Amino acid sequence: MEDFEQELREAFARRPAPPSLKRKLMEKRRAQRRPRPAVVWQRLAAVLALAAVLGGAMEWRHQEEERRKGEAAREQVLTALRITSHALDQVNTRLAAHDREQE
Amino acid sequence: MKNRILIFVLAAAALVAPALAQTTQLPLPPQVEKELAARASNVTEVTLGKNMLGFAAKFMNGKDKDEAATRQLIQGLDGIYVREYTFDKEGQFSTEEVEQLRKHFETSEWSSLVRERDRKSGETTDVMVKLVNGETHGMFILEAAPKELTIVLILGPVRMEDLGKLKGIGGLGALGDVQKSVHKDKKGGN
Repeated sequence: MEDFEQELREAFARRPAPPSLKRKLMEKRRAQRRPRPAVVWQRLAAVLALAAVLGGAMEWRHQEEERRKGEAAREQVLTALRITSHALDQVNTRLAAHDREQE
Repeated sequence: MKNRILIFVLAAAALVAPALAQTTQLPLPPQVEKELAARASNVTEVTLGKNMLGFAAKFMNGKDKDEAATRQLIQGLDGIYVREYTFDKEGQFSTEEVEQLRKHFETSEWSSLVRERDRKSGETTDVMVKLVNGETHGMFILEAAPKELTIVLILGPVRMEDLGKLKGIGGLGALGDVQKSVHKDKKGGN
């Protein structure tokens, strides 16, 4: 029993860590943290793809907005010309009536 | 720092103001316009400055003959301003107001092409053109009926040959006919 206790005491005895242990642990941790080149490229590709999608969506939205405004402006021009035409038609009618009266 | 912000704001306003003014204001007495709009039962307002006309021109279908002609016409213009007021009852606008609008264009630059007054019906018609070196650089139409008032102002070089092409879309082709009538009247001594 004493032998066993002696063994236990020795097993649990506090021993200083070897001087290189901390360095080794830190190096191992750093190596684990550093992403592999393939992962870097994947991440970069994903970011670029996301940026392209977002950029494309924004450009599409801008073009859609421009098209909508352009169509509205076009409609306004046509409305203005229709009103102008109507006014000129009336001028014509009046001038024709005036001519008829004089004849 | 506050002064810098103020200078920046003023500079931005100075840059933006002319562009806004160009696209939103009808070069007519604003008070008259406001009062007419308040009394009318139906108002159609179209205000297109040079930039907006250029922008709209890009959206004209080049394959369509009428739209291609419209694009050619509007690309060179400085502005199109149209106001159409419809009133519920007669007498909701005065002859003084009509005169006020017309007088705005009684300058040496503008010449009267048509001036018609029908006392019986109370209808008046004015067509004025702005001539620069013998070329038309503007057109003003003022059409007043008892329940309707139409103001059209087109600024910029108006090519008569382009107008004739616009009959298909209800455009300005009728001006050619008006000119013919006017010439006929002048030859007839009226």
